[in-house]
Amino acid sequence: MERHDAIVIGGGLNGLTAAAYLARAGVDVLLVERNERLGSAAAGYDIRPGFRMPRFTLGTVSLPAHTVSDLELTKFGLRLMRVDGGISLTGEGRYHASYRDGLMHRRELARLSVKDADAWTRFRRDMLRANLALRDVLAHPMRDPSRRTLAAFRGLLSGADKVAAKPSEDMHDLLRIWSMPMADFLDSYFTSDLIKLHLAAKALAGTTLGPYSPSSARFLMNAFMGEAEGAAGGAPATVLAMGGPEAVANALAASIEAHGGRVRTEAEVTDVILRDGKARGVALADGAEVYANAILSDLDLKRTFLALFPWNELPKGFVERVSRFRMRGVTAKINLALDAMPEFPALPDGCPALQGGLRLVTSMMSLERAYDDWRDHLPPRLPLVEMLIPSMTDRSLAPQGKHVMSVAVHYVPEFLHDGPWSNERRDRLSDLVISEIAAHSPDFKDKILSTETLVPPDIESEVGLTAGDFEQGEMTLDQMFFNRPMPGLAGYDTPIANFYLCSGSAHPGALETGGAGAGAAARVAVALGHAPIHRKGSVL
Amino acid sequence: MSDDTDLTTSTDIEPPPLPVTENETAAPAEPVGRIDLAMLDEMSRVDPALFEQNHQDPPFSRQVMTTPLHFYVASESLTNLWCNWNGYSVAERLTSIDDEYATLRHSAVMTDISPLVKYRISGPDALTWLRRLVTGNLVSLSVDEITPVVFCEDRGHVVGDGLLFRLGAAEFRLVTEEAHLAWLLDSAIGHNVRIEDVSATLAAVSLQGPLSCAALAAAGLSGIENLRPYTAHWFDLMGMPVYVSRSGTSGDLGYELWVEPDDAPALWLRLLDKGRSFGVKAGGFALREIARVEAGIARAGVDYIGAFSAIDPQTAMTPYELGFSSLVDLEGEHFTGRDALRRVHARDPRHILATVAIDWHEPLRFTAIRDATGLAGLATSTVFSPALGCNLAMAILQPHAISSSTVLHVEAEIREELSLRLIHAPAHIIAGAALMLPARHLVPAPLTIRG
Repeated sequence: MERHDAIVIGGGLNGLTAAAYLARAGVDVLLVERNERLGSAAAGYDIRPGFRMPRFTLGTVSLPAHTVSDLELTKFGLRLMRVDGGISLTGEGRYHASYRDGLMHRRELARLSVKDADAWTRFRRDMLRANLALRDVLAHPMRDPSRRTLAAFRGLLSGADKVAAKPSEDMHDLLRIWSMPMADFLDSYFTSDLIKLHLAAKALAGTTLGPYSPSSARFLMNAFMGEAEGAAGGAPATVLAMGGPEAVANALAASIEAHGGRVRTEAEVTDVILRDGKARGVALADGAEVYANAILSDLDLKRTFLALFPWNELPKGFVERVSRFRMRGVTAKINLALDAMPEFPALPDGCPALQGGLRLVTSMMSLERAYDDWRDHLPPRLPLVEMLIPSMTDRSLAPQGKHVMSVAVHYVPEFLHDGPWSNERRDRLSDLVISEIAAHSPDFKDKILSTETLVPPDIESEVGLTAGDFEQGEMTLDQMFFNRPMPGLAGYDTPIANFYLCSGSAHPGALETGGAGAGAAARVAVALGHAPIHRKGSVL
Repeated sequence: MSDDTDLTTSTDIEPPPLPVTENETAAPAEPVGRIDLAMLDEMSRVDPALFEQNHQDPPFSRQVMTTPLHFYVASESLTNLWCNWNGYSVAERLTSIDDEYATLRHSAVMTDISPLVKYRISGPDALTWLRRLVTGNLVSLSVDEITPVVFCEDRGHVVGDGLLFRLGAAEFRLVTEEAHLAWLLDSAIGHNVRIEDVSATLAAVSLQGPLSCAALAAAGLSGIENLRPYTAHWFDLMGMPVYVSRSGTSGDLGYELWVEPDDAPALWLRLLDKGRSFGVKAGGFALREIARVEAGIARAGVDYIGAFSAIDPQTAMTPYELGFSSLVDLEGEHFTGRDALRRVHARDPRHILATVAIDWHEPLRFTAIRDATGLAGLATSTVFSPALGCNLAMAILQPHAISSSTVLHVEAEIREELSLRLIHAPAHIIAGAALMLPARHLVPAPLTIRG
């Protein structure tokens, strides 16, 4: 009978991060992954021989620096590259780019509006300030404020103390960013439509809100999450991993194995073995059973409880509540192999910001309409198109002179108002998007060697994310902080003893930082009687 | 108004003259209760050239720009050492810092100060708006006079400081260290005023030192000795209009000359040529830093962080904490931040910006200013003053460090081959400027070095 201290179900970023922290803490940990490759949606594949790219995600990385250092990922082969932050391209051939260098970015803003170039200082300050205010919240597992324990009460008091110490103006600013619609929030800083659209399109990509939805402004600060306060004053960098985002998963797996943990791929968990209402182990698809004192699930909340447990063993009403957890797919992926670098005549030659990706934008109103279409489950008419050509930066991804292009298409519903996604509908989507790109890059269609279109149901069936939702549960205020994944379930514990949730469905959510995995690992290490895991920074 | 307008308009440099004076009543530009944000663009027009030869260059084509005097300064440089000031390449030092310092204190030094940010403010409401913007009283500011100003946001935190020139009845120039156009325009809503960033269309040369007046007189600026401190005058030099102000950051007699970028090289060469017999030489940015710390002048963005840049709200500072108390007039007219400043005026400051002298005979590198119990403050600028023979620092200190009973020191490590020497150098606070020479205030200005 195989037995370990802990089992992690699922080899996504959070599961790998949890297992890596546990292994370093001396826990005998086994990670099981259903697919052949680690990394969940970020796993890589060859679209054609020699052309390597992430299958479902765009391919940027937002791993926090202290995770890299805590887990010694550099030693295990991870190489991160910081590039400029990307470009937005409008239909009329205008463009706006993000540069990391403060002076360069200032000149770029001044090209559109000199006033906005100066307003950038205040915008950047407020973004960093909002992140600073959030840092403490994200650094600790959330406590349920309604739980009447002494510790919870103390936590509430110290939180209230911090709030009381803030000048009221700072509270006003915080309330503004957490409650305002993004478009209105941007109006209070910038005058140039293109600058506002550039920031909005980047922040809204992959979210389930539109630019005029209340509380959408908060997504603006995500881009600044990893920015050092003292950085050069430009736009936030885009980070790529040498070898693609799967390199992060591979480095984490190497870190786990170097510390005595085990990683097993092509091993699908079919059931969690319960005894006396407590989780004791997992049953694998090949019939094997593995036992452990703690079991962590890197699957989303719905898949975890609705697929791995007999429903009658779960507490009354829990199944129903889990089924109401909101998960909705919003992103499709078009993978392209290109015979040559596409040209974009609107851009100046050699623009370095192209390495950070390219977005096609029209207007704030059309962004809102794309969101409306998504909400109404209409086939996308003018979706938000985000492109990344990682082979510009990392030449190992494609043969010499050739390129791979990731296209993330946002505001794509998981099913259409009149039925599921058909092959014809998929083709129509990719035709629409490729024509859209070709309108900015004349000979684009001739350069395409291979193409593959993947819509949210494909993500669900291949990766297991319910509804193809990368956020693993919408990041709306009712499903965040101590409400994540649901009221009464803050922290990483679940109603089943010995069973923990370490996926993006738990706090702080699917931020592509491994934060939930690190937080769950800290919880489990204590539960197993190990010394608390010392982390240099926050959960993020 | 399209976003590209800044690039395509303004081929001419001088804006059309505004014939109105401050006494004329302005027609209301906008109906009450409605703000046309596009109007802000109309109110500002900025020359995009930014000293560049070809302003069609994409922003990523270079990280640092050059001033109109770049090649002329370069030809004086024996070191080829450059640094970045406000996004422009300026000489770090041209010869040796000792020689440049000796020239500054015994003759005069020319420095290219074109990277300063300059705003032209004009229109019937210019004075009214400026009175609301700055904390000080502008009632007595006449044409061709200059006053140091500081401006705050609503919470009483300093946004920036600078020099305000009154060029005409309804025309002003604001010279600052950092860019503030967004704040200036936002606060000008409702005023009939035009604010232009003329940083790129105005070059500036600073001439500082005891013989600066003599050198300028020799260069052909007759009557320059009668210019009073903090006043300015238009001169004609070889057909070039040159606006000369008696101002500067050296704590000594000094002038700043404001010219069109095209004229700047001729002015530079003329001063160098006519000043040679007085020992005038070019100096770099490092020398400017030493002189300003000796004179106790804080630099925005270095010694304090403007309210719109401070990420931690606690690091934004009030004028009182920065030693700008004399520039705040709480009794006069309303200005932005006055109510907040009235509240904090009576309160104890959270920090104090002060000059600290560190008794050590060679340049030290340090950040922490300590007292017996621990950290008492942080040095924001550190220089070695050859005149005083000690290290000088501008430092943000905790209030208790100011009291005379607190004994301060700094700790520094000096590596000597493979051994480490730990320095424990006493420090003391200097009230006011460490070095302020009487010639700065003399009228007429001395044409020779006096004993």
